[in-house]
Amino acid sequence: MTAVAEGAEASTIVLSTFADAKDAYRNKDLRQSLYDEGEVVMSGVLVNLHGQEHRDRRRVENRMFRRDVFERYERELFPEVTVQTLAPYLEAGRVDLVHLGHELMLNLSALTAGIDRPLGTAEETGRLYDYNAKFIEGATMAHYTGDKDALRAEIAKALDDWDEEFLAPSIARREDLLAREAAGEDVDVPRDVLATLLRHREELDLPRHVIRREVAFFLLAGAHTSATAFVRSIDHILGWLEAHPEDAAKVRDDALFVQRCIHETVRLNPSSPTGRRRALADVTLRSGVHIPEGSIVVLDLQAINRDTELFGPDAADFDPTRTMPPGVAPFGLSFAAGMHVCIGQDLAAGVVAVQGTDPDDHLYGLVTGAVRHMFGVGVRRDPDNPPQRDTSTARPYWGTYPVLLGE
Amino acid sequence: MTYRISVDRDVCMSSGKCVADAPDVFRFDDDEIAEIVPGATQPSDERILDLARACPAGALVVTDVDSGEEIDVG
Repeated sequence: MTAVAEGAEASTIVLSTFADAKDAYRNKDLRQSLYDEGEVVMSGVLVNLHGQEHRDRRRVENRMFRRDVFERYERELFPEVTVQTLAPYLEAGRVDLVHLGHELMLNLSALTAGIDRPLGTAEETGRLYDYNAKFIEGATMAHYTGDKDALRAEIAKALDDWDEEFLAPSIARREDLLAREAAGEDVDVPRDVLATLLRHREELDLPRHVIRREVAFFLLAGAHTSATAFVRSIDHILGWLEAHPEDAAKVRDDALFVQRCIHETVRLNPSSPTGRRRALADVTLRSGVHIPEGSIVVLDLQAINRDTELFGPDAADFDPTRTMPPGVAPFGLSFAAGMHVCIGQDLAAGVVAVQGTDPDDHLYGLVTGAVRHMFGVGVRRDPDNPPQRDTSTARPYWGTYPVLLGE
Repeated sequence: MTYRISVDRDVCMSSGKCVADAPDVFRFDDDEIAEIVPGATQPSDERILDLARACPAGALVVTDVDSGEEIDVG
């Protein structure tokens, strides 16, 4: 069903069918608009670009998001990062999953984005964590329930401080390496977003303030979407195991099953519950829905991914054994589609398994690995501290999710 | 009906989806833009449609060999 509401300035058209949403995502006359309110951190970043400018940037950045890179992260870097990050909490026997998820994924996204932590201390990581938390509030500004102007000022200050402490030294190190490489020296330039942008800054005509926001964006996006999926997946699996105790061994031993749980979680809980586009020209979707130039298009992902006509009467239930309709990904449209399809989708959630998939040569995704690890260390709800929702945002996030670890 | 698949170089954004899904058909050129592997056999019509629909940039063009018209893959 599609609803049309006439606003004071532009009409808003809500798309709530899978076909319309997919069609809209692929339409080149519908421009990204989800981050209009979060420009303090999102202006000029990849997901906010359109047309040739977007294509040029994405071509360069896509080179970092290839299978060989994902394999290195999933099989070499991330298992060690997971063990190290979890160690103090395992010793304490408890942790807040919301904090752990963001800390774990931040450790990874700092590598991907190209933010060095030369001190290597917990305090240094804590400061980066706090900056990143502020950037996340900027990216999700549209759903913020507090004073948005005050928040914008806080984010601008955080960007300045983060730049001075983390970004500027990281740029300096990479510029030095790139200069030495250009001089013929055999040096190891990191394969991360920052180094890639610096290498191509002339070709892409990138001013420093855009590089700054782009790196902040990769830092926040890499951490936040995976962290929320991490918490929600564990919540769903714990619920599933209450009804299906016979699957307890599967969540430790069967990575393909855990990956299905991640995909099912992401279907039910898209990182942003809505997509949003602005019509640059009159558009008519295949279904006949007409979108006048200047309209705002809202893609109701929460409803689309729970469409009972598509997924059956139990569409809103978590069921990792669900059979998907033909042509529909197990995570629905949560990673979007078309030109802005999530660049880190395979890194976070792995490749979708098909009949004949070789489990030994399969990419399961980092969230799958982290969640499976948690069940290996006995994660369970803390009966004395129930989880609480985050009231600072209209997005359905967990604010805290205390759990106990160990036997 | 017989379809043929090709790459619109101006539209390709180097996602690598086609290269990953069909390495027998696609590869990257020196600019990391997707291209058809020289001498590759054209896939079945069904596979062509699947590949074209999976391209995030809509850069895979499907043509009806008989009529020469471009197919709207949906």
